[in-house]
Amino acid sequence: MEKSTMNEALLGVLAFGLLCAPAGAADTNWLIKAKRVYTADREPIEDGWVQVGDGRIRAVSAVSPGGGFETLEVDAVTPGLIDLSVRIDLGFDSVEQSTETPARLEVENALDLWDPRFERELRSGVTSVLVSPPDRAVIGGWSVALKTGGPPTLERRRIAGRAALRAAIGDEPSDGNRPAFFQPDSFYNRRPTTRMGVEWVLRKAFHDALAARSDAARATSETQVYEEVLSGKAPLIVSASTTQDIRTACFLQREFKLPRLILDAAAEAWKDPPMVVASGASVVLPPLTFGGRGGNDFAFHSWNSAALLHERGLTIALSGHNALERGERLAAQPGLAMHAGLPFDAALAAVTINPARMIGIDGRVGSIAVGKDADLVLWDGKPFEPSSRIVGVLLEGELVLDPRTAK
Amino acid sequence: MQTSPSTLFARSVLASSFALLTSGLALAADKLVIEAGRVITRPGHEIKNGVIVIENGRITKVGAQGEVDKPWDATVIGGPQYVAFPGFVEAQTSRGLDRPNENIDVAPFLDIRDSIDPINFAYEDYLRHGVTTLNVQQGGNCVIGGRGMVVRPVGMTVDEMAVRTDYALKLSASPKAGKSAATQAMALRRAFEELRKRLEKQVQDKRDGKARDKREALFQGRELEGDKAKGRAMEGKGWRVDGLELVPRGELDEKDLQLLELVEGKRDAYVWCAAAMDVRKALDLAKENGFLERTTLVLAGDCWKAADVVAASGRPAILIPPLLHVETEPITGKEVETPVAKVFAEKGVKFAIASETGQASSLPSHHVLWYQAALAIGQGLPRERAIAAVTTVPAEILGLRDRVGSLEEGKDGNVLLLDGEPLSVRTHVQFVVIEGKTAYDRSKDIRLKHLLEGKEPPGTQAGAADFGAAGAGKADAKKDALKQDEAAERKAGEEQRKADEKQSSGPHFSDADAAGEERG
Repeated sequence: MEKSTMNEALLGVLAFGLLCAPAGAADTNWLIKAKRVYTADREPIEDGWVQVGDGRIRAVSAVSPGGGFETLEVDAVTPGLIDLSVRIDLGFDSVEQSTETPARLEVENALDLWDPRFERELRSGVTSVLVSPPDRAVIGGWSVALKTGGPPTLERRRIAGRAALRAAIGDEPSDGNRPAFFQPDSFYNRRPTTRMGVEWVLRKAFHDALAARSDAARATSETQVYEEVLSGKAPLIVSASTTQDIRTACFLQREFKLPRLILDAAAEAWKDPPMVVASGASVVLPPLTFGGRGGNDFAFHSWNSAALLHERGLTIALSGHNALERGERLAAQPGLAMHAGLPFDAALAAVTINPARMIGIDGRVGSIAVGKDADLVLWDGKPFEPSSRIVGVLLEGELVLDPRTAK
Repeated sequence: MQTSPSTLFARSVLASSFALLTSGLALAADKLVIEAGRVITRPGHEIKNGVIVIENGRITKVGAQGEVDKPWDATVIGGPQYVAFPGFVEAQTSRGLDRPNENIDVAPFLDIRDSIDPINFAYEDYLRHGVTTLNVQQGGNCVIGGRGMVVRPVGMTVDEMAVRTDYALKLSASPKAGKSAATQAMALRRAFEELRKRLEKQVQDKRDGKARDKREALFQGRELEGDKAKGRAMEGKGWRVDGLELVPRGELDEKDLQLLELVEGKRDAYVWCAAAMDVRKALDLAKENGFLERTTLVLAGDCWKAADVVAASGRPAILIPPLLHVETEPITGKEVETPVAKVFAEKGVKFAIASETGQASSLPSHHVLWYQAALAIGQGLPRERAIAAVTTVPAEILGLRDRVGSLEEGKDGNVLLLDGEPLSVRTHVQFVVIEGKTAYDRSKDIRLKHLLEGKEPPGTQAGAADFGAAGAGKADAKKDALKQDEAAERKAGEEQRKADEKQSSGPHFSDADAAGEERG
């Protein structure tokens, strides 16, 4: 190992680590001057200013709002990015498998907030994430919306506790259960073992919940959970990659009139957009590639699927699945979507305001607007170009990546 | 080399009938004039409103509009909206092969030409992303892998593709699957020791008057006339076997020739290093056996930690993605990220950027050359160096400095016409010209049409075999029908929702079942 090189790298990391540390009296008052302020919910501002005070956005304007705060000057500023399919969990330890529908459980109780993968997201510009239980149960429980930085306690990082109910269709929830064919080889066989079985479990859950509306004796703690989804209080986020699974999800929506359906990892949504449009569902796309594969079950994820769905009027979000490689992370996804024809504004919305609206956290995050959390990404070039760099990240006003020291 | 502009389409096996249609439209390719609003001749050099003249496959003139005489009978392509850029050069890849490695440990006698699959999708994709020259080598899962070949991504046969045959040897300083670092190092040393012993034995046999080697050569039908009948003293900076001039070269075992050429300093070597610990071993091996000056290091993983060693060796390197190295710091548990290309640049190492992962042949598809170069810029590599790392530097490493990598007089006419700033996600390769012939035209890229416009390639649908004007019309009609369906579906969905709102909230299995039937 070459000492000098290693030291340089270590210095960078130490600096980052120090900045990430929960400093009690950290400076959270900044004035950000950018050649372009991409607000995400309104027109971008040329040569604009963003004033940050006490963790919130205080002013967004084309003229300096003053205030005597220290000024950070960059090429562009966007809202902190939001990933609804971040997949940072403890694997099987994060989903209960003693039943197919552990719906009451909340994944927030099975998370490691010290997981370095949260920090990877943070330094890559992702400030808010939806963490869901892994898809080993048909209805895996409640997902949680979290900030990726700040003091590592749930109280401080949680944006919304029961942000969405997680369900899964496809191979994954039945994979590993006992064989669908031949004789069961154990008394402890789990069902379902096929897609039909998965659909049956889902329909039964919502059917029971509807039945409980008119017959109080049938109400259980689980039907109360489903009632929250049926009444539109919380969205249902369903992992469905292939066309058949997306169809199943859309039929469920139609049958039970689910008001807020989110299709996650919906690689093949592009194959039948009218069906998705009719269901009123919004779509989270799995990571895009230059080729074709993506999502579960070897689904074919057309590389222009983001553009295609956007043209059809669907609300889309992009996701990074916590990729290790920079070229695949969430901050790179809008670029890949643009390469296949998605307009810049739509690409920006797909990683900021759209995902925020989908899970109803847009009151706090998702755009650069007065009163919202000061979660910001500072760029040294056009955002989402692979040749641009994220030189700064603010989380609730705290500078977790400092553009003044970024080399 | 004859390449037809229809090659790409012909490669798409579904499109053979279409290929016949387009070959009639082939450009008169002896003289080609390319006009562009910007001509980027090499990193940092740009001509506004430039013209490139290509005659018989070579660039004869590059200059500004008005300053360059355009042959009156040349075909003219391009226009002010385009940016002309040199074709990208892939310094080494194991894509487009039947399989990237043989299971024999030491196989210098293998030739990649027997593995290259000309109709493999990889070459079509290289063309689509503007790579015009690539060095195809065996994968890194070997001890001594075999000989590579430099190709252009056009042609239906390996011969059509060939730019430089019987090229460099691939070696691996990192453990092949199933080996440890120690056994790998031993296997490498032993390969050269055994070569030396066999050569010494042949010299001794000659001195002893034994004719076994000659009989064996004759038995195998090897050539033993002309130069092959002559012996030649062994050259080499590492070690030499005295008296090799006694053995006619034709009597040397064919399996030994490639390694002998390596030791004699007559062949290039690409040495795969997956980890920093392998770099020193690679350099020592090359030095001991006299091929250091012909060695290019292929560096992956944490090899950036050995950047000083690489810099001191003076040897060029090929950097394998990911170019942002991530590892867990052993004490704090935090992730450490290192911008690999930037580290090597700061140490003064001459490097090319490659697009694949080295070991595997199936690749994550964001490993595209221009995209990796762009990412390197975003990780702190100066823009000009990043562009050089996928054009001029790999050309130099491949010994093709006079032929490819930049747009200069006398070089091969390998030109990209882009519709915007190079290395931007908003830019697409519109045309690829290889040696003066249009090898790719995005407007005729059938796979892209399928993906981006929903037009089905011929043969994939009943009744769509007559692709062309009529077929395209059909596709349009289909698209219109689809739009109508969609509008109806949307309306039905809205009506359904309105109806649902009015109804009580009981389950409606019958409705859902009916809907299921409708959609089939």
